[in-house]
Amino acid sequence: MSGRLTTKTGEIVAYSEAAIRGNISAVEYCRTSMAALSGCAAGILGLNGLLGFLFYFLSVFVLWLLVLAKSGTQWRKFFINRQSLLTNNFMGGLCTYVLFWTFLYGMVHVY
Amino acid sequence: MGTKIVNRIMLITGLISLLHAAFSAAHHRTYLRLTEQDWTHLPVDVIVQTVVSLLVVVYNLIQVVGNFKEIRATVDMQEKSWDTLGNLPSFYTFNHRGMALYQNYEAEPTTNIGNKSSLDVDY
Amino acid sequence: MTELLIDPNIRVWVFLPIVLITFFVGVIRHYVSVLISSQKKAEITQIQDSQAMIRARLLRENGKYLTPHSFAMRKNFFNHEETGYFKTQKRAPVAQNSTAMLTDMVKGNFINVLPMVIIGGWINWMFSGFVTTKVPFPLTLRFKPMLQRGVELASLDAAWVSSASWYFLNVFGLRSIYTLVLGENNQADQTQAQADAMTGAAMTMPQDPKAAFKAEWEALEITEYHSALKNVEKDMLHHAFGSDVSIENSIRQ
Repeated sequence: MSGRLTTKTGEIVAYSEAAIRGNISAVEYCRTSMAALSGCAAGILGLNGLLGFLFYFLSVFVLWLLVLAKSGTQWRKFFINRQSLLTNNFMGGLCTYVLFWTFLYGMVHVY
Repeated sequence: MGTKIVNRIMLITGLISLLHAAFSAAHHRTYLRLTEQDWTHLPVDVIVQTVVSLLVVVYNLIQVVGNFKEIRATVDMQEKSWDTLGNLPSFYTFNHRGMALYQNYEAEPTTNIGNKSSLDVDY
Repeated sequence: MTELLIDPNIRVWVFLPIVLITFFVGVIRHYVSVLISSQKKAEITQIQDSQAMIRARLLRENGKYLTPHSFAMRKNFFNHEETGYFKTQKRAPVAQNSTAMLTDMVKGNFINVLPMVIIGGWINWMFSGFVTTKVPFPLTLRFKPMLQRGVELASLDAAWVSSASWYFLNVFGLRSIYTLVLGENNQADQTQAQADAMTGAAMTMPQDPKAAFKAEWEALEITEYHSALKNVEKDMLHHAFGSDVSIENSIRQ
C-alpha cells in the first residue's frame, strides 16, 4: 500500500498511499463545499457574467491559501505537490459553483 | 476537542448568517421593485455580511475536516511493533504435525487468556 | 434586454420543489442501492486457487534464495506430472455466476435508469411550461433549445431557463453534492474495498482458473534454479574486508 517516488535530490521516499488518499479526499471535501458556498455567495451578491467567474477563481485561490495555511510550513509532509491542490477538479467545482450561483441568483434576484 | 466544537458552532452560525443575507437581499430586491427604483447594487451591509460569513464558513470548514495525515510511509511504520510487521500470512502453517501425533488429545482447560494454547511458544 | 417579471409563486411551487425533488431522489436512490446490492461472496475454491497462484508466482520470483532441494520440492508440489497441484486440480470454467451477474445488472438498471425516466417524465408533466429562472451570465442563441425545453418562445433571451431544463441542470450539477452529503458512506465503501485488497489480494479470482493454471504451470516449468546465494560467503567477506589480499591475510592470522 505504498508508492515510491524519487525526489530531486535523488533520495527515495516511500509514501503511504492510504494517507495520500485520505488527505486528497479531505481537500476534495473542502473544495466541493467551497464551490457550493461561494456559488451561494455569488448568487446573493447578484454577480453577473464575468464577475461571477472571477469570484470563483478568487474563492479557489483563497481556499488554496487556507489549506496551505492549515498545513503550515511543512506542507511537504502532507502533499506531494502544491500545484495539484490548486488545479485538481477545477471544472467539477465550476459545475457545482454555477448551479448554486444560478439557484441563489434565481431565488434572490429574478423574482 | 473543545476547539472542534467551537468550529462547528461557528460553521453553523456562518451558514445561518449566509441564509440571513440571502433573505435580506431578496427583501431589498422586493422593496426596490415595489418602490419602482432601479437596481444598482446591494446595500453595503448585506455585501459585507455575505463575504464575511463566507470566509468564516470556509475557514471553519477546513478546521472541521480534520488534520491531514503524514504521507511518508516511514512515519506510519515507526508506530508499528515488530509483531505486526513480522506477521506474514504466507508462512502460516495449519497442518501441524501435532495433529497426526496426538490424535486422541483432549483440549486443555482454558485457563490462560485468549485462544493461546500452552503449547504455543511465547516470543 | 427587457426585465421579465415572474410570479413569486413560481419560485415557491416550481423552482424550489424541483431542486428538492432532484436532491432527495438522489439520496433515496443511494440508500435503495445500498439496500438492494448484494455482497459478493467469494467461494472457497476460488480463494484456494488464487492463493496457489500467488504462491507459485512467489516461488518463481524468489526461489533463487532457497536451497536447491527446497526449490525442487516446491516446484514438484505444483508441477509434478501426476500429483502436482496444477495438474490434479480440475476446475469447471466459470459459468454458474452468470445468473448472479445478470441479476446484478438488472438491479443496476433498475436503480439508475428507472427513477431517471419516471421522475423526469413526472417533472415534465407536472411542472411543464414555466420559465423558472435566469442564468446570471450571458449565453449565445445556441443554448436556447438546451435551456428552454418546453418553452418555445423565439423572442425570449437565451439566459432564461425553463422548468424541464432546470431539472436537468440539477441532475448534472448535484452529483458532487451527493458525494459531499453521502461522503461518509462512499468512503466506507472505499476503505472496505481497500481492506479486501489488502487481506486477500486473492478475492479477485481469475476468470478461468483452468487457463490461469495452465499459464502458471508453463511459467513455473521454464523457471530454472539459479541460486542467488552461491557466492554469498565470498561476497560477504569481500564486502567486509575490502579486497582479496586482506582476506587472505586475515584468514592466515
